[in-house]
Amino acid sequence: MTTILRTPKGWPSILLARAGAKDPTDLDAAVKGGAFGGLRKAVHDLGPTGVIATLAASGLRGRGGAGFPTADKWRAAATTDAPRRYVVANGYGADPAVLTDRTLLETDPYAVIEGLAIAALAIDADEGFIAVRAEAGPAIRRLEAAIGAAEEAGFIGPDVLGSGLSVTVTVRPVQGAYMLGEETVLLKALEGKRGQPEQRPPYPAERGLFGMPTVVQNVQTLAAVPWILINGAEAFAAIGSKASPGTILVAVRGPGGAGIAEVPLGTPLREIVALAGGPKRARDAGGAGAKPGRGSDGALKAVLVGGPSGGLLPPDLLDTPYEFEALRKVGAHVGSGSVVAADQRACIVDLARLLTRFCADEACGKTIPCRIGTRRISEIGDRIAIGVPRPTDLQLLADLSADVVASALCDHERLATLPYASGMRYFRSELDDHILRSSCPAGVCRPIAVAAGAAH
Amino acid sequence: MIRIPGLGIVGGMALTLRRFFEPKATIKYPEVKPDIPHKFRGRLQLLYDEYGALKCETCFQCAQACPIECIDMGGIDTKGRFHVHWGAPETYGERREESALRRSGRTVPDPAYAHFEGIDPDPVDGILEEYDFDPKQMLPILEATQAAYGHLPVAALKRISHATGAWYAMIYGTASYYSHLRFERPDDSTQAAAVADHRPTEATFLSGLDAALAGGRRAGAGSAPGAKPN
Repeated sequence: MTTILRTPKGWPSILLARAGAKDPTDLDAAVKGGAFGGLRKAVHDLGPTGVIATLAASGLRGRGGAGFPTADKWRAAATTDAPRRYVVANGYGADPAVLTDRTLLETDPYAVIEGLAIAALAIDADEGFIAVRAEAGPAIRRLEAAIGAAEEAGFIGPDVLGSGLSVTVTVRPVQGAYMLGEETVLLKALEGKRGQPEQRPPYPAERGLFGMPTVVQNVQTLAAVPWILINGAEAFAAIGSKASPGTILVAVRGPGGAGIAEVPLGTPLREIVALAGGPKRARDAGGAGAKPGRGSDGALKAVLVGGPSGGLLPPDLLDTPYEFEALRKVGAHVGSGSVVAADQRACIVDLARLLTRFCADEACGKTIPCRIGTRRISEIGDRIAIGVPRPTDLQLLADLSADVVASALCDHERLATLPYASGMRYFRSELDDHILRSSCPAGVCRPIAVAAGAAH
Repeated sequence: MIRIPGLGIVGGMALTLRRFFEPKATIKYPEVKPDIPHKFRGRLQLLYDEYGALKCETCFQCAQACPIECIDMGGIDTKGRFHVHWGAPETYGERREESALRRSGRTVPDPAYAHFEGIDPDPVDGILEEYDFDPKQMLPILEATQAAYGHLPVAALKRISHATGAWYAMIYGTASYYSHLRFERPDDSTQAAAVADHRPTEATFLSGLDAALAGGRRAGAGSAPGAKPN
């Protein structure tokens, strides 16, 4: 279903290293390929403090979008005094257009299970959950088969590798809300409650699932942990950018098709877009592109980075490195790991309107800035798009976005303002065309386009 | 008793005179403000926005916060879900007693909900047994209940509430959050249409994204990348 895009030679392969396996649930083949070597090392050589120290040296950061240092999270959970601790692997993959987490679970379930087991040993937890989208049937079936096989072989279960430590891993299918990708919301769902975020601090690492310290990590983070323990922290730190080392799975969509690629963090956006036939070299751009011969930056209008709450970046920011801080600085974020190239046919207002509407509809309703604020932002966008804007709308949009960001409870509402915020920042002239001249340059916003006689 | 003619009218006029010299109840409103306790909120009411959607997510945080369980809601929420009233306002007193009883740990008789459609309780009882009456397993319980009945009937939710000890408001708030759980019968076409109108799906977003990238939402869902509007 999902294609894994071919990446240039020399790009490291950590998460998808065993992606080519005929049967991903075949334990013997996986062990031959290096699975559970990291767990063995963690149990026999490193111990909990050694694991956390190695991770701290590697600089691994959470792949869920916020990029929180993994070692800090584990240390906080390990040092908080509590009768029980939990590890939760977040494989929900909230963005419906992004299948990276699901693909990882399908192609290499053992890497996630091993990472989960290592995390459990490091923080002294005896129970781990892997949250998967209930619609992802193959991923759940493979995970369950893999957990069964690993338990039988003694890699997880009541006696991990003969050390006397116990780790139970359970798959928990969840579904029904975009917000489940947020860690505190996911914990609420696992507790059987309404999925609403919690105020932080206390972070889940101090008070999470059932009030106990809980490490919530994206499945990609956990899958990288065994590799670090086997190959060493220095080898990992050498990959990607200095501030955020390692690789990340990115769902790219461009004129040449769509797919998933493993990308070192810090790779310029241009190279990522080029994987899906974006503007870089003419030979990349064949395939199912809309119009042949689109080889220049001129055809590319914007790059949507970060999923439904992502930022719209103009082509001249294509050299921005794909990593947490750099993207935040330009008004986008890693988010769900999606990079979508929009060409000249797309209208910025139309795109931002769609994204904001989705975010507003998916708001859980716990806080007013999110419930009402995102809805109002979406309504301002609707006014602009249907050609009845008020002269103060842009100012109102900017003020409202700032207020929502300032009073937000979780990242959902903070980031839901990004499509319009980045649109105003980089595509101001297009917004001005809509508001001041009642015309839509792309000819998309229909009432305006018709009224202005520009229905081309 | 001696009847004195004219005494009745004197009494009546006395009342009139007394009222005449009493302070007036009428105030000149915008200039003079009435003295209202600062916690007074008038009649609590949920408002509809200009699109006709209720300005409420039915998260039931308010109902969960109310110690005597007297908060109740009705209407269509922003997600297009139909909320069913918990009961008539006249039953608030009973509900108060029920709330106190429930917290004492005893089973509570439930006359306020008798008018909701009856269900065959065996499936839900079996499901509760299977999940050991554990409120932490609420999502699997609700999913299994929906699979058994086709939707989540109020009577079943009440039964789950009684058996697990979780507040009805909590269960309702949970069920109203997840888009795969529904309160309306799947065969009720008018409700289904109204709900579909309000409730966005991931498929809507995906086709919207496809269309937006291909130049216009009206180009239709899933149009080929090369297709241009007009």
